Amino acid sequence: MAGVWILADNHDQILELLAAGRSLADDIGMGLHLLLWDREEKSGEYFSYGADEIILLPALADGQPLSVYIPLIAEEAAREKPEVFLIGGSNRCKELAARIATRLETGLCSECTAFHFNQDLKRLEMERMIYGGVGVQTVASTSKPQMATIPPRTFSPGSPLEGREGKTREITGALETPVRVLEKKAKSKEQVNIREAKVVVCVGRGLENEEDLQLARELAEVLGGEVACTRPIAEELHWLPEETYIGLSGQVIKPHLYIGIGVSGQIQHTVGIRDAKTVIAINRDENAAIFEVADYGIIGDLYEVVPQLTRAIKEKVKS
Amino acid sequence: MPRIITCFKWVVDQADIRVVPGTDELSLDRVGYRISEYDRNCLEEGARLKEQYGGEVVGLTVGIPGAKKSIKDALSRGPEKAYFVTDPSFSNLEPGQTAAIMAAAISSQIEYDLIICGEGSGDLYAQQVGPRLAEMLGIPCAVFVNKIEIKEKEAIVECKVEDGVEVLALPLPALITVLPDINTPRVPGLKDTLAAGKKPVEEITLQDLNKSFDPYLETLNVRATSMERTCEKMDAGSEGIAKMVAVLTKAGVIS
Ligand SMILES: Cc1cc2nc3c(=O)[nH]c(=O)nc-3n(C[C@H](O)[C@H](O)[C@H](O)COP(=O)(O)OP(=O)(O)OC[C@H]3O[C@@H](n4cnc5c(N)ncnc54)[C@H](O)[C@@H]3O)c2cc1C
Ligand SMILES: Nc1ncnc2c1ncn2[C@@H]1O[C@H](COP(=O)(O)O)[C@@H](O)[C@H]1O
Repeated sequence: MAGVWILADNHDQILELLAAGRSLADDIGMGLHLLLWDREEKSGEYFSYGADEIILLPALADGQPLSVYIPLIAEEAAREKPEVFLIGGSNRCKELAARIATRLETGLCSECTAFHFNQDLKRLEMERMIYGGVGVQTVASTSKPQMATIPPRTFSPGSPLEGREGKTREITGALETPVRVLEKKAKSKEQVNIREAKVVVCVGRGLENEEDLQLARELAEVLGGEVACTRPIAEELHWLPEETYIGLSGQVIKPHLYIGIGVSGQIQHTVGIRDAKTVIAINRDENAAIFEVADYGIIGDLYEVVPQLTRAIKEKVKS
Repeated sequence: MPRIITCFKWVVDQADIRVVPGTDELSLDRVGYRISEYDRNCLEEGARLKEQYGGEVVGLTVGIPGAKKSIKDALSRGPEKAYFVTDPSFSNLEPGQTAAIMAAAISSQIEYDLIICGEGSGDLYAQQVGPRLAEMLGIPCAVFVNKIEIKEKEAIVECKVEDGVEVLALPLPALITVLPDINTPRVPGLKDTLAAGKKPVEEITLQDLNKSFDPYLETLNVRATSMERTCEKMDAGSEGIAKMVAVLTKAGVIS
């Protein structure tokens, strides 16, 4: 039956993949099939967003991880032979994708940021970053399905089409895995949205103490912006929430203005600010890599420069 | 007493990659190589678990003959022995191939209870080799882990997921991929480096594996990404600050 298959573990990404999958399915001239395990009444909505079919998986039993679906999905794919299989790039789904691809003996383009269906060669040409972001690699799969994981927010969700319908098909099978989920610790959702912010003040390891975040907060405040950070600040020091770190494995942002303070500017970080309109850096090391990707840089100690800058902006605003 | 395999990759230092002037091609002519950044956390975790639970820890890498340079460095970070799976054709392997080669090498001669991989490699960052390897070996796996405990014949791990943490119990043998924040890698001292030189290295060749490993992904091209910026530097001091305020005003962020 072939077709384009999609799978994601959250609603927003399902909508994104439906939009991307729909236009791809039309290009290839095939149907769009959504794998789903959530039994809430969202199927109608997913049909209106473009799904031709929902393939409903059995419900998870208590303590079963998502990876329990791997054999079932792989068997179904081996039978139905999808042409393309796109999977959302959440942590759990990345594992699923790699293991399903292994079972199907096919390739997987991880963190695919753009793709294009080559009509002449009848193949999907997929782009991804390589060398930390120094290059973009275009790959094609030599076997099928042609698989990719798609990072969140790569595509915009489409708009629903009233009255569009599809059918649902349930698949059954035993769900067995030796792995048990002992506990799920939900994290408190902090309401920071650095992706929407026009101005982002980003702190790096140049900051000596957690309290010094105040310097960045004050600067962000006079500019009406948000405070973001580099990966080690969020993941090693845990000074700021994980949603606020920028880069290859974090957020990609497009603000009007980015100000990096005490950020060295390693490529894995700066790929996240490629589309910022203006980039400013404050670093005491004149050879710091951040200066090469900044429009304006101040060479100096952030503990002197940042308070001065904040004060000067305040005065300017007043005048 | 777990027998642990820690997997590390020898990768180009991306800071040395240059763009060929006037083109969007990358030049890898004068690049240095090093152990993939996050594989240092992987090696460290192996060493840490051995200190805590006993057992033994070995290192495993797949690469071209030149990747041999990585081995002494890796051995100075904990493993007692290294397995070096090598062939001149092992350059630019795609993750599906790498995992298949590792699976073949492990099945042919390495006994283990636990395999540890990094979250992702510094060059490809595909985050695939770990889960693919687990699938090929038919063992359970946990990914994006930032805490490991071993209890009896199980590993209890904390996996980072988008909405929090999932604690999993995996029966051994199992494979775990670790996040960089799981530990702080040690800086090997002179003693570690000297000791590393005396540790055994087992070479496994393509002939030994007696199999071929075809890629599933074909690279069509690699282009340089670029970021066009003004790159104007100024000194700290009132002049610099005044200039910056002017820049900010022009950018329309202060009014
Ligand atoms: C596969 C992979 C993925 C990664 N993904 C990401 C990612 O998504 N995001 C990310 O951020 N990183 C990522 N990294 C890590 C990245 O390579 C860098 O290690 C990290 O970004 C460095 O963070 P930093 O700039 O805060 O710290 P450092 O590199 O330690 O830089 C600190 C800087 O502060 C300056 N400084 C110190 N004191 C002062 C002072 N008083 N005044 C002014 N300046 C001062 C120093 O000169 C230095 O340049 C990734 C790495 C790998 C290998
Ligand atoms: N050539 C290799 N040799 C040994 N281990 C590897 C190799 N390639 C990848 N790995 C391991 O797999 C992890 C993930 O790699 P990747 O899938 O390329 O992102 C790395 O952090 C290593 O632990």
